[in-house]
Amino acid sequence: MALLESTAPSSAGTRLLAFVNNATVRAVFYQALTLSCVVLLFWYLISNTIENMSQRGMSAGFDFLGVSAGFGIGFTLIPYREGDTYLRVFMVGIANTMLVAVVAIVISTVLGLIVGLARLSNNWVIRNVARWYIEILRNTPLLLQIIAWYFGVFTLLPRPRESLGWLDAVFLNNRGLYLPAPLVGSGFAVALVALLLGIAGAVAWARYARREREQAGRIRPVLGPVLALLVVPPVLAALAVGSPLAWDMPQLRGFNFVGGINIPPSFCALIIALSIYTSCFIGENVRSGIQSVSRGQTEAARALGVPPGRTMRSIILPQALRVIIPPLISQYLNVTKNSSLAIAIGFPDLVSVWMHTSLNQSGRAIPIVAMTMGFYCVVSLAVSLAMNRYNRSILIKER
Amino acid sequence: MDHAAGPAATPPPAEIFRPRPARRAPPSTLGVQGWIRQNMFSSVPNALVTVIGIWIVYAFFDALFGWAIGNAVWQAESRRECLDEVGRAGACWPGVIAWIPNLIYGLYPKDQVWRINLAGLVLLLWAVPLWLPRVQSKVQIGLSLVLLFPLFASYLFLGGEKGIVWSALIALGLAAFLWTLLTAATETVFGLGIARFAVAALGFASRSDETRRRLAIAVLLAVYVVAVILVQALSLPFVPTRVWGGLFLTLVISGIGIAFSLPAGIVLALGRRSRMPLISLLSTTFIELFRSVPLITILFMFNTMLPLFLPVGVEVNQLLRAIVAVCLFSAAYMAEVVRGGLQAIPRGQYEAASAMGLGFWQATGLVIMPQALKIMIPTIVGNFIGLFKDTTLVSIVGLFDLLSMSRAVGEDTRWLGLFLEPFFFVTMIYFVVCFGMSQYSLNLEQRLSAGERR
Repeated sequence: MALLESTAPSSAGTRLLAFVNNATVRAVFYQALTLSCVVLLFWYLISNTIENMSQRGMSAGFDFLGVSAGFGIGFTLIPYREGDTYLRVFMVGIANTMLVAVVAIVISTVLGLIVGLARLSNNWVIRNVARWYIEILRNTPLLLQIIAWYFGVFTLLPRPRESLGWLDAVFLNNRGLYLPAPLVGSGFAVALVALLLGIAGAVAWARYARREREQAGRIRPVLGPVLALLVVPPVLAALAVGSPLAWDMPQLRGFNFVGGINIPPSFCALIIALSIYTSCFIGENVRSGIQSVSRGQTEAARALGVPPGRTMRSIILPQALRVIIPPLISQYLNVTKNSSLAIAIGFPDLVSVWMHTSLNQSGRAIPIVAMTMGFYCVVSLAVSLAMNRYNRSILIKER
Repeated sequence: MDHAAGPAATPPPAEIFRPRPARRAPPSTLGVQGWIRQNMFSSVPNALVTVIGIWIVYAFFDALFGWAIGNAVWQAESRRECLDEVGRAGACWPGVIAWIPNLIYGLYPKDQVWRINLAGLVLLLWAVPLWLPRVQSKVQIGLSLVLLFPLFASYLFLGGEKGIVWSALIALGLAAFLWTLLTAATETVFGLGIARFAVAALGFASRSDETRRRLAIAVLLAVYVVAVILVQALSLPFVPTRVWGGLFLTLVISGIGIAFSLPAGIVLALGRRSRMPLISLLSTTFIELFRSVPLITILFMFNTMLPLFLPVGVEVNQLLRAIVAVCLFSAAYMAEVVRGGLQAIPRGQYEAASAMGLGFWQATGLVIMPQALKIMIPTIVGNFIGLFKDTTLVSIVGLFDLLSMSRAVGEDTRWLGLFLEPFFFVTMIYFVVCFGMSQYSLNLEQRLSAGERR
């Protein structure tokens, strides 16, 4: 550039042109322009907001968090009483949201794995049942499914007196699902110690088997011994010292059930709809992941005499997981976000108790909206950071 | 071996070679029988699974048809009559049939419904030329459809007083529609657009370029004048957005969301990939913020905050708040789709474009984007489907979309408690639209990649 300028005959006009056409100058100019637009927009919005709020007598402070909320919540995972503070309401909302997310993630992963494998089955009937299961359920809105399960199934169940029972322990009626609640019994400590010992033994065996395989090439059975170590000691301990857990059975008294755990119908409907809907997407992930492993891998394994089950477990799945896991995690994030649809059927999740009820009660729009969005942002930022680290760790190491 | 050691006097009787009987041929894999054997009964467990699978499918369809058709009631005055006739064993369709107008148009005044139908017809006629093989101005028609149809349709839907500016804009929309129809007709028949065809038909084909260009502009202006006169003659009563609802509202919201999200997503994606740090930072912040929170929180936020953001005294109706939220949300998602497409384009394409002397906008518009958009079609359509499904969320912030309308059936005193039937009907509508879109995108993808297949 300097060379050109020194040799070319330059007038003021050409120098100006060169200055205007310079990439760096343009970049600075465009960025300054964008920044001033954004600043102006924010200044406009904020000044309007301040004026509106002063006119309506609203306040933006967080001081209301210590004030008693004064409304009840139908279902809480952590203890909550009417009269607890708004901060407590926020916590209750987060706990309920996380509970829904975790339960739905577990169920949808299992269902999705089954559907994805069924989609690849050699059997024409199974393949097509899985295909249409996926096509129908993922092409209808989730909110519609949640509402249909709630209004179309759970509110139409019989009243408590005619409830559907199973073994006199589990009951299903229009007030929800009743399960026996575990109570700590006399032999609980002994059984717990036995269980912990079993877990320690299982871990040790798994490590030993792995070392044997990697260093000596001997293959030891893993699944059977581990399961035995997990199940046998606690059962033996329980038989030896008497029942470690007592069960609090739900019982019909008058018009309703007492005792046991009551899971409200809104929770059941939400979990079922979320799990089924998400399982379709997970199923497609699993299918595409497995199909992404080249056929040559299967053929090579067959040629080396590896049996089919072991080919799947040790050769195809580890390679498929590389493809499956990133979209799987984003589905898990989607489940967390979609659990906010709980508000449509009155399940008290974060959006329902915080962004709806608390906002209407306290009128503190700005802090409440900021806290709700902040929670979801933190969750997805944390997950995507973990995801990036994982992606880097499984990158194929190339020459 | 034993014989070899024995005396050689009598040779052993010659052993007659007897081939072992041939193994049976494996079952045929050809023909219908072979296909069934291979795909359904290849082994005992497989056969068992097939039988169980067929039984489940049969039981499902048997129950479904029994409920929806076999035991269903088609003629009744109220849900009570249905229940008296078949109980819960059969569907009660009269309730859904009575509500069909509401499910489609919401509470839109009955005598004004023709306006929605007319807009639908205009949309259809506007879009048809895009599929006619002989039409050449498809890009212009497509762009005018996305940009100018909303101008015309907004007046049809809303009606009421129109000032000078709005009249001019409505007329622009109508003029674009007339131009589309005329151009499609003349291009199909004569292979010339309307303006050039009119110039030729009027006998000016031999004049200079400059004269013909002026005449063509005059023809376009004439079309616009006709449109202005038509718009002036058209006077429609005002219908507030409060009574909009049903499938109509769902289509309005998702249509605007789709039309807005693609261009906005392209701008955001280019911003995120920009080498200017500030622009990249702003785009990334916007995209990540809107993608990490659920749509319902954005809807709530705009519902409570938009009135605060605007100057004192400015009223924003509920529909507009929902549309703004849906548009920004879907733009953020679309931006990530477009970014994915842009990343798939090899560096060589950018470098070749600069080597040819193309600037940033030329390279992006003529070289990069066309290739990237082609790769992205399935994901873009997937996003559109997601957006269409997500519009159901506006029912939570108090709009009467298709889903709210279907819930309202069961709250009508005559059809109290009738939930399953309207849900079934609405599910069918969503399924047909979404499944149709996804199958069409598969088809489009295959046609566009025809050159790469071997």
